[in-house]
Amino acid sequence: MSEFAIEARQLVKKFPARPGTGDKPVEGESTQGPKKKRWQFWKKEPKTMFTAVNGVDLQIERGEIFGLLGPNGAGKSTTIRMLCTLLEPTSGTAKVHGFDVVSQANDVRRSLGTVLAGERSIYWKLTGRENLEYFAALYHIPQPIAKKRIDELLERMELKERANELVEKYSTGMRQRIAISKALLARPPILLLDEPTLGLDPQAARNLRELIAQLKQEGHTILLTTHYMEEADQLSDRIGIIDTGKVIALDTPEGLKRRIEQKEVIRLEVTGWHDDLAEKLRSITGIENLMTRQQGEADLWEVNMQAHNSRTAIPRIVEHISGNGTRLVNMNIVKPSLEDVFIHLTGKALRD
Amino acid sequence: MQTTLSPQSLGRPGFRSDLGALWAVVRREWTIFRRYPSWIIALLIWPLIFPMMYILTARALAGPDGSGLNVFIQTTGATDFIGYIVIGTTVWMWQNIVLWDIGFALRNEQMRGTLESNWLSPTWRFSFLLGQSGPQIISMFTFFSITALEFGLFFGVRLNGSIWMILLMMLAAIPAIYGLGFAFASLVITVKEANAFVFLIRGLVMIFCGITFPISILPGWMQSIAKWMPQSYLIHGMRAAAFSNAGITELLPDLLPLLGFGLIWLVVGYFTFLWMERRARRTGAIGQY
Repeated sequence: MSEFAIEARQLVKKFPARPGTGDKPVEGESTQGPKKKRWQFWKKEPKTMFTAVNGVDLQIERGEIFGLLGPNGAGKSTTIRMLCTLLEPTSGTAKVHGFDVVSQANDVRRSLGTVLAGERSIYWKLTGRENLEYFAALYHIPQPIAKKRIDELLERMELKERANELVEKYSTGMRQRIAISKALLARPPILLLDEPTLGLDPQAARNLRELIAQLKQEGHTILLTTHYMEEADQLSDRIGIIDTGKVIALDTPEGLKRRIEQKEVIRLEVTGWHDDLAEKLRSITGIENLMTRQQGEADLWEVNMQAHNSRTAIPRIVEHISGNGTRLVNMNIVKPSLEDVFIHLTGKALRD
Repeated sequence: MQTTLSPQSLGRPGFRSDLGALWAVVRREWTIFRRYPSWIIALLIWPLIFPMMYILTARALAGPDGSGLNVFIQTTGATDFIGYIVIGTTVWMWQNIVLWDIGFALRNEQMRGTLESNWLSPTWRFSFLLGQSGPQIISMFTFFSITALEFGLFFGVRLNGSIWMILLMMLAAIPAIYGLGFAFASLVITVKEANAFVFLIRGLVMIFCGITFPISILPGWMQSIAKWMPQSYLIHGMRAAAFSNAGITELLPDLLPLLGFGLIWLVVGYFTFLWMERRARRTGAIGQY
């Protein structure tokens, strides 16, 4: 058996670029064939390829929680879909539980429990129990074992009382718990959780994070993607950051944070913010990775920037912000968080 | 890093497990079908509405005294023009419903978001299509029975042939009709929007297979095309079984081509599915809405 739970080497996935969708060839990618000058009815336009994943290397150890982070369109979903056999790599290899994702796809599926589309991945016109019975059959679990296992999972997820109600009557959190139960039915050694807490209320999300931590204790390897940086920080043993189809950083959360610990993060709250202020602040020596975010409906903006030396930067920041209807409401100098590391590496916020 | 024992999968792969999975798909479809009660209304009303359009047209064309019907009877050899029309239109509806139900089965799962979770399981993927056909076949046989009952009650249509021969013709048609549905379902996943194809296929069946008229009145080239359509043999054979008391020997010229086409369409349906499955893994079509 392979040393790693998941192992990918130089994984590449290319798609034909779809016109009008903004698919662009990534750096280093060229279009196939010469540029055509005139459209000809009988000739096909040469295909332009879009590289979604560009040489990803991953080694996920058994029993660890591995967080995969990346902004939208970075290649995160494509990587996950290749690992769970929904997509075939253009080149490179990947093994899950020692099985090749192309030539041993069925063994890979047998080793994986996946939560991909969350609450949409189950049947709303079936009851919670019927859903689990159905998926138990698809995962080839003998009926008596399936029945026992379903009871255990319903109990564990606190869904026993409502197991015989239609899923359409459940809350988002309950549906998500059924989707996770589905992934756990066959006791797969590896779990692939794509945005498992998306759309959950804070309490339900906290419960789910506790469950994920328990599953790790039980010996499951977990590949987790999330848009919530604190979640990745709290749960992951290691984090891989993916951008423009490449893994640009891979380390423990602490290791990643150490990369920019010589920097300080200046966090401002201002009212009357206007866009040309961003350019002015960026022009200050030693200021980089400036990000703004509007706070709710009010005219209150949070402005985050990284600085090499806050003492020299702050007077100039205050100078730029004062006046022209802009008012500084609050200012803090904070320790870099994982989100700051992410911004430092990708130049984007996770939700971009 | 702390090393822990990996959990062991509870799954037991094998032929029996795949059969169990197929049965689970059938049960799932049946359960969901029962939870949309509007199907009862559709099953009661549709068998009457569609043939009525042609029956009323035939009555109008026959003239006030119905004398024109004699010409129709001479041309078709049928004594009961209503029964003649009902069989043609019901077969047309069967193919039409299969194109919508089976043809769009995977697409509907895709839109709902459940296709990927099915696809991620280690089961034989063709069972997702095959399993959906089970409840669909039961509902269509119910549809045929209700049609016979309603036209018997309201229009006095009487079958003077063997019910078993009619059933035999229908069973022989299942591979062809559903094979076409399987091929169609795979194409729909690939092109996403295929309403135009449904309209085209059902239009072809309407024109070439003689749903309300004998194929013999068509020009030669159209008759040649009709010979390549399994629905022509089904309609002809069912009329013979229902109203001419045809036995198995008389039905063989319709049964054999029907079974032959059935084999061809099943193979075409299966290989189109495999092609789609392979293509979807390259392009990611399964996850695209």
